Amino acid sequence: MGAADLARELKRGSTELLILALLEEAPRHGYELAQLIETRSCGDISFHAASLYPTLYRMEGKGLIDGRWVEKAGQRRRRYYRLTKAGVAMLASQRSIWDTFVVALDRVARIRHA
Amino acid sequence: METDWSRRVRAAFPDSTPPDDDVVEELAQHAAALYAALRVDGCPPEAAERRVEELLERWRQDAGGLRRPARPATVTPPPMQPRRWLAGAAHDLRYAFRLLWRHPRHAVLTIALLAVGIGATTALFSIVYGVLLRPLPWPDADRLVVVTETRGGSPARFGRMSNAAYRAWRDRPATIDALAAWSTRLATVGGAGAPERVRIAAATSSLFDLLGARPILGSPFGERDETSPVVVLSEGLWRDRYAADPAIVGKGVLLEGRPHTVVAVLPERLMFPDRTIRAIVPLAVPPASANGLSMVDAVARLRPGSTPAQAAGEASARGRLAVDGGMAAMAIFGRRGPVDVTAEPLVDAVTADVRDPLLALLLAVGLLMLGATASAAGLQLTRMAGRARELAIRSALGAQSARVTRQVGAESLLVALIGSGAGLGLARLLDRAIPTLLPADFPRATDVHVDLAVLGVASAIAVGVSVVCAVLPAWRLRRLDIAAVLADDGAAPVALGWASRAARARATILTLQTAVACVLLVAASLLGRSFVAQLGADRGFDARDVLSARLAMPAAQYPDAARRFAMVDQVLTRLDATPGVTEAAFTSEMPLTPGGSTASLSFRSPQGEPVTAQASPRIVSPRYFAALRVRTLAGRTFSALDTDASPRVAVVNETFARRYLGSSPLGARIPLAAYAPPDRQPLEATVVGVVADARYIGRDALSQPELYYCHCQFDAGLPVQTVTLLARIDGALDAVAPAVAAAARDADPQLVADVVMPLEQRLLATSLARPRLYAVVLGVMASVALTIAGVGVFGLVSFWVSWRSRELAIRVTLGASRAAIVGLVLAQGVGVTVAGVAVGMAAASGAARLAGTQLYGVTTYDPATFIGVPIVLLSIAVTASLLPAWRAATRDPLRTLRGA
Repeated sequence: MGAADLARELKRGSTELLILALLEEAPRHGYELAQLIETRSCGDISFHAASLYPTLYRMEGKGLIDGRWVEKAGQRRRRYYRLTKAGVAMLASQRSIWDTFVVALDRVARIRHA
Repeated sequence: METDWSRRVRAAFPDSTPPDDDVVEELAQHAAALYAALRVDGCPPEAAERRVEELLERWRQDAGGLRRPARPATVTPPPMQPRRWLAGAAHDLRYAFRLLWRHPRHAVLTIALLAVGIGATTALFSIVYGVLLRPLPWPDADRLVVVTETRGGSPARFGRMSNAAYRAWRDRPATIDALAAWSTRLATVGGAGAPERVRIAAATSSLFDLLGARPILGSPFGERDETSPVVVLSEGLWRDRYAADPAIVGKGVLLEGRPHTVVAVLPERLMFPDRTIRAIVPLAVPPASANGLSMVDAVARLRPGSTPAQAAGEASARGRLAVDGGMAAMAIFGRRGPVDVTAEPLVDAVTADVRDPLLALLLAVGLLMLGATASAAGLQLTRMAGRARELAIRSALGAQSARVTRQVGAESLLVALIGSGAGLGLARLLDRAIPTLLPADFPRATDVHVDLAVLGVASAIAVGVSVVCAVLPAWRLRRLDIAAVLADDGAAPVALGWASRAARARATILTLQTAVACVLLVAASLLGRSFVAQLGADRGFDARDVLSARLAMPAAQYPDAARRFAMVDQVLTRLDATPGVTEAAFTSEMPLTPGGSTASLSFRSPQGEPVTAQASPRIVSPRYFAALRVRTLAGRTFSALDTDASPRVAVVNETFARRYLGSSPLGARIPLAAYAPPDRQPLEATVVGVVADARYIGRDALSQPELYYCHCQFDAGLPVQTVTLLARIDGALDAVAPAVAAAARDADPQLVADVVMPLEQRLLATSLARPRLYAVVLGVMASVALTIAGVGVFGLVSFWVSWRSRELAIRVTLGASRAAIVGLVLAQGVGVTVAGVAVGMAAASGAARLAGTQLYGVTTYDPATFIGVPIVLLSIAVTASLLPAWRAATRDPLRTLRGA
């Protein structure tokens, strides 16, 4: 497996976690999600908007998030996404898996490195 | 100019897989926001444009992922809650009304079927209820029994109980509270206004207590008054003739030429034996004597707890202790022997001879109702079959099964309720007609009317029928195969037209209907032909073109036999002079009137042996035989030469001659029967002629020995008080009738002829009235049953044609001729009918055996009937099948196959 492939797999696995985490704070629309991922990772996670929407739609299909058109005064209507109960549960379980994984990686990599 | 981002997003995707509008809108917003942000960051328009183009290109590459997944509908129909069950009922009914309005054919047929069925059933049930079941009007009427005396097992020729047995029981009753004797007759009420003939009863004073009848005015006569000229008026007579005079009690009225004192007025419904009685006069039962009996009708009220059998036992025991009556008992009962008394409930005794026919008619009308219901339910089923697609679509769109069922139920119920309503309306119309249809002597005819009890039963029937009609189609719909119906595969597979359960069920129902129609037709045909045979039967005389009128000259008004003779003579003279009258005569006894008087005669036969004869004597005028065209078999009949001056002569009928006079009847000498004055020596007359029997046509077809005496040979007197005038007419009877009535009136204004009517009609009103009634009622029912069967065949064949329309269309396309198609369809209707006829004829032959005793002049297995009925039914089946067959043959097959 090449480096590019690993990066893509990691990215795909982490995208859902990132979206769930961002939606945990507040309901957000697609553009906002893309902006937040880019700015909070300081550009380190180059998350292209092209893959955002297929991911959102897939997660909506799984029932993790719920998208709704919301109209606010003086604005065009926007589609806001928010966590469902299943999404909340999924976020908790993914967080714990990632925590364990990252800790293990760190430990293994450091042991090897040493 | 602002960019139309939606258009650009849409344009970025290939035409083959356009994204949803929803997605386009979201992506366009994203693109717009990105462009705006880039411009705000100072990006030149070209660069910003390029960045957005890159994004659009990536989206285009990932077009497959840009689809919002279809999610299950989040809105589910609210469950039907029991308390809201009726919520949509008004809607259902409105919808049902609209459907009926747009497709009225089936509905109209169904309504007509139900109306006729329910109307006929209700009308006939009102007769059965009124005659057999309705309680008699007197209090505790179930304890009233009619008692009948027999001697050695032989019943009396007239009356039910002898005075000997009556008095023996009346004086010491143990099982009964009271015993009363009665008889009825016609009497003339005179006085103010025109004299009129009314039916009155003579009864012992015990009758009123026995009945528990309380008068409106006054009090009934007591035992002391039994020989006094007093009268109890019916409320009807009191109102009609005496203007409801409140002071009538104590006043005198003229009855049978004698003044009677009114003692009470009784409500019409309490009159005995029925409400046609207009007045009751006292009757005294004479004490028993050793050589005479007088007969009365007797009714008793049982003590509470006693049974009719106990009362009969007691009456028999007391009757046997009474004097025997001697020769008189022999004359009246036909034989001597121990007294036996039977007792039966009054209502049974009154209705005994109509009970079986009425119950048979009720059974027939029940079958008819069943057929009508089945036909109506079948029509509803056909209608539903035609709408299967619509109902399947409604189910597929999410209508719950219960909801669709209810809708269908509501439609059927609406039709059934309209039909039932029409049926009850029809019953009310028939209710008005029934009294005129029932023969005058039909028991309790005046008790027949549609009242609450009848309406209750009729409504129960109507509701039951409605529910059946509503539930059947709805129940069938529960098992509707939506997928099959919508896939248009619901039509029957080729040549398997009876494969469906519904088709088989309908065919079975129709088979039974045809069988019912068959039984009714056979019964109606047999009874009808029997009636016609009785009309045309050889009675030994010719009743056609003869007017008759009964003339009463009560002894009170005309005590003198000579005066009566003069009156009759005068009337006959006037009649002879009346234009149109070819022969005028009179007789003391109507021919063919059951229960005529009989006499016991003792004489020596021409062979010299002592003979005791039982015969019905009558006094006639010489032209009697000519007027009625009675055939003379031997010797001569009377002539103007037979007078008081010439030797007394007599004419006997064939039965008398054969039974008592042997081979040489002419010249035999017989006594002058009951007409001889009591203070004279026994007189004899010489038999000068033998005439044909007057036959009693009917079940028994019996002839009785009869003797005729000439009225001119009784010392210029007339020993009887009632005669029947007979006038043979040349021309229209109606035109001469007033002249006949006038002839009597002109002779004496106080002389009242009963309604003048054709002799045939008079016979019809008595001996032939019931055969005619049963034949007419059955005939009407048979035609209704025939109509129902016809409609059933039409419905079934129509159903079959629409069920197999695709197959028929394929056959036509493949070259089947119209005749072949018509034949194929006809075969369906005829096939079912043949099955029904087979079942029906088997049942009918059983029924015919039971009805055999009612038949006259027709054999039980009358060939004309048993061949004609199947032919009629098959013709009906062919006729009913022709319309759908022709439609099937002429319909454009391509339209059918396209489903147009």
